Amino acid sequence: MSRPAPVSFTRLEEIAGGAYVVTDAAEISAREVCGARPTAVVCPTDAAQIAEILRFAAAEKLAVIPTGGCTKLGIGSPPARYDIALDLSRMNRVLAYDPQDLTLGVEPGVRIEDLLRTLAEKKQFLPLAVPFLDRATIGGIVAANSSSPLRHAYGAVRDFCLGMEFVTGEGAQAKSGGRVVKNVTGYDLHKLLIGSLGTLAVITRLNFRTFPMPQAQGSFVASFSSAEAAFDFCRAISHSVLTPQMVEIANPGTAALLFSGEISTRIEPRTWTVIVSAAGQPAVVDRHEREFGRLAGAADAEEFFPLEAAEADSAFVQIREFPRLMIERVPAAAIFRISAVPGAMAALQGKLRVLAAQRELDFVSLARASGILYAAFLPQRDLSETPQALPGTIAEVFQVCRQSEIPASAMLEWCPTEIKTSPDVVWGTQRADFELMRRVKHSFDPQDILAPGRFAGGI
Amino acid sequence: MRPQLIRELEALLGPKAVLSAPEDLMLYEYDGSVELGSPRCVVFPASAQDVAGIARLANRHETPIVGRGAGTGLSGGAIARSGGIVVAFSRMNRILEIDAANLRAVVQPGVVNLDLSRAVEHLGLYFAPDPSSQKSCTIGGNVSENSGGPHTLAYGVTSNHVTGLELVLPDGEMVRIGGKSIETSGYDLCGLLVGSEGTLALVTEITVRLMRKPEAVKTLLAVYDTLDDTTESVVEITVRAITPAACEMLDGFTLRAVEDYVHAGFPKDCAAVLLIEVEGLIEAVEAQAAEISEVCRQHRAREVRAARNDQERNLLWRGRKEAFGAMGRISPMYYVQDGVIPRTRLPETLRRIEEISRKYDLQIGNIFHAGDGNLHPLILFDERDREQFARVVAAGGEIMRHCVEVGGALTGEHGIGMEKNELMPLIFTPDDLALMERVRAAFNPAGRLNPGKVLPMGKACGEIRVPPMPASATIPT
Repeated sequence: MSRPAPVSFTRLEEIAGGAYVVTDAAEISAREVCGARPTAVVCPTDAAQIAEILRFAAAEKLAVIPTGGCTKLGIGSPPARYDIALDLSRMNRVLAYDPQDLTLGVEPGVRIEDLLRTLAEKKQFLPLAVPFLDRATIGGIVAANSSSPLRHAYGAVRDFCLGMEFVTGEGAQAKSGGRVVKNVTGYDLHKLLIGSLGTLAVITRLNFRTFPMPQAQGSFVASFSSAEAAFDFCRAISHSVLTPQMVEIANPGTAALLFSGEISTRIEPRTWTVIVSAAGQPAVVDRHEREFGRLAGAADAEEFFPLEAAEADSAFVQIREFPRLMIERVPAAAIFRISAVPGAMAALQGKLRVLAAQRELDFVSLARASGILYAAFLPQRDLSETPQALPGTIAEVFQVCRQSEIPASAMLEWCPTEIKTSPDVVWGTQRADFELMRRVKHSFDPQDILAPGRFAGGI
Repeated sequence: MRPQLIRELEALLGPKAVLSAPEDLMLYEYDGSVELGSPRCVVFPASAQDVAGIARLANRHETPIVGRGAGTGLSGGAIARSGGIVVAFSRMNRILEIDAANLRAVVQPGVVNLDLSRAVEHLGLYFAPDPSSQKSCTIGGNVSENSGGPHTLAYGVTSNHVTGLELVLPDGEMVRIGGKSIETSGYDLCGLLVGSEGTLALVTEITVRLMRKPEAVKTLLAVYDTLDDTTESVVEITVRAITPAACEMLDGFTLRAVEDYVHAGFPKDCAAVLLIEVEGLIEAVEAQAAEISEVCRQHRAREVRAARNDQERNLLWRGRKEAFGAMGRISPMYYVQDGVIPRTRLPETLRRIEEISRKYDLQIGNIFHAGDGNLHPLILFDERDREQFARVVAAGGEIMRHCVEVGGALTGEHGIGMEKNELMPLIFTPDDLALMERVRAAFNPAGRLNPGKVLPMGKACGEIRVPPMPASATIPT
């Protein structure tokens, strides 16, 4: 945990300005990371200041964690040290937006909600329908590689981020990629920063390609009496020529949590519920509706119906905010983010449900047909009564994911801090490629000052 | 008596899997670029274990290693610039697994790009990256160079289609990164490795995504009397946010060469054509094709016609994909460039290329992946004319500087290799490059893996390399 550090406020104040070095208790506690608190919050205004701060921190061996909307600081293992929170919220400008070229350059502190509004004025968007949408910043979303249901149609950040500028742990300003939509000039270092939780560099600019808003959209609900039927339906979609925008599979527990009466009285929350949407020209959406309906029928759907626009919007928000809703309702939940091939999803979530039952944990899951499974284990009673229930299950989940018939990659995205007794709890036991990651970390941050200990393998 | 290194390699791989006679090595001195370099030997591993053994041997002998697929690369990536061992992956050419249910295939690096698509065709699937050389280039080479192709406009380049790799590091250690799943926890090492041009590790196995063939495809040919109308059409298609699957431009000069060679039915008297393809559901294709036709006509396209059947479509694409080859019929050599510009800067960029062509008195043919702003100017020359070749290099440098000035990049899909590594400082600062060097050293500490590629060696900073005169006037296709 954090040790008291001899932070020189004078130097930080010289760099960022006195008003932008904050030690106020509320600000400090807002930037707590797994129980560790910084000594100071520094709010730089540009990359040059960040570079100076990091050079100072490297010289003084002060640990720095970049922060944005402070919505996902709970992700990762507890930092080994934590002295300075680098609050990037002042760096919230759109630096370049060329709607004609469908390209965008932004600072990391831009709130995603504001950014989407700016893009919407030009009938464009980024496919980042991510949790904490009202507070999350683009830098934080990228650093946590937040999962978006729209990945199914538009890809993930790694697919539409064109380049980044950043400051390394040595305080060097660097960049990779560029601002054009196709580019193989130099190493794609920026891809390493996606999902790196601030352990490699502080992002100071991100360039993206933007996407045109579709003319029309339609969302549909298909409900099934069994997991097998629901996943059969999704498999049929993926083996068809259809091009859905998203395909989300909620188990009965998830459906009950997400789709209560106020969203639609028609969604029956005790069933396996698949929410699918399609976008494009109206004729394309109509075609999807017909074919989704046909495929749902073939998979023995109990029901299939289109959602009204308002219902669709509400359901979309609930799906988008799934991990947030889960931790708000059950703070002791352990929520895994697991990437698995579509064919393994049904079996995988079945095995996880069995694990949960053995430990008397509730199990809810939301599967994205693009290959991401949110699996949440919810204690039925106070954790102190069954202290081994969650840790035991967590270890078993990693074991299941390593079994060769279900090739899957898991990380424990959310869980109570007290369970995070080692990096393995969050990231699973050592893998051969962790050593390569350590070498990458060392080349970006040789003094180990950026979010030390927060990442896989104790990085 | 053969040198120790060769004997040890023969002991490891068998004598047939090692070439060291000068006449055999000549075939491996060049690739699709204008670069040259002689290896000390060429070896043909049959397995990842062989590759690891080669790496350990090379390490002990402190000898460079350069991976090589089909040698179709366009920036000298597979050339043994500092001698050493060329590891040719032609024996590692098996498709190890086709997992249609999960839209994945696992392949060895020597599998030819088009062979994979052919192997999954009966399942209604294909591998999306489609470089012009796809009949011969290998997927290992595609991974090294992060190859593109016409259809990457809609579907992305190689890195968007690779989920897992098996690597042999320069010390012979084998590591797997990623897998079949769409992502793997930890840093995105696959994202770094794809496009690292063989400077970080040798790739011995690749897990790729397969795509489902679209229900409908429509291929349009729009014919123009001026270059400006052509490029303005591309800008308008981008601005209207229509995303065709491919949007290619060929100028009149290139077209005439292509038509004489392929007989695809391209008009020989026009200034340029756009070859535009839309794919997807029937409903989407019809609507997009109508909108694109309207844009082209508004920009004074003389004619917009759709391929009536697969045969016509294939012929149009053959014209595009064999355009480089067609150039070989009218010029002893050509120098192909690969700059990228923001798509809205196409009209001024083409005018600039015309100026440069006049300034240096060189014939430049233009074949572009217009839809994503990726230019392929082909500068024609005769390798026997040393003075002309100097002008070619100067003109190439000027085109690339223009791309950088308008906010673009040095290479969209061909790679930096040994051709453009000294130009890297046009884009990257010393700090950017120092970090890339450190990352390279994290994988390749002694620098023995593909030395002299990607990063500048510092001898001629900011200059395009003047390659040795190609001795054999081979026309790369």
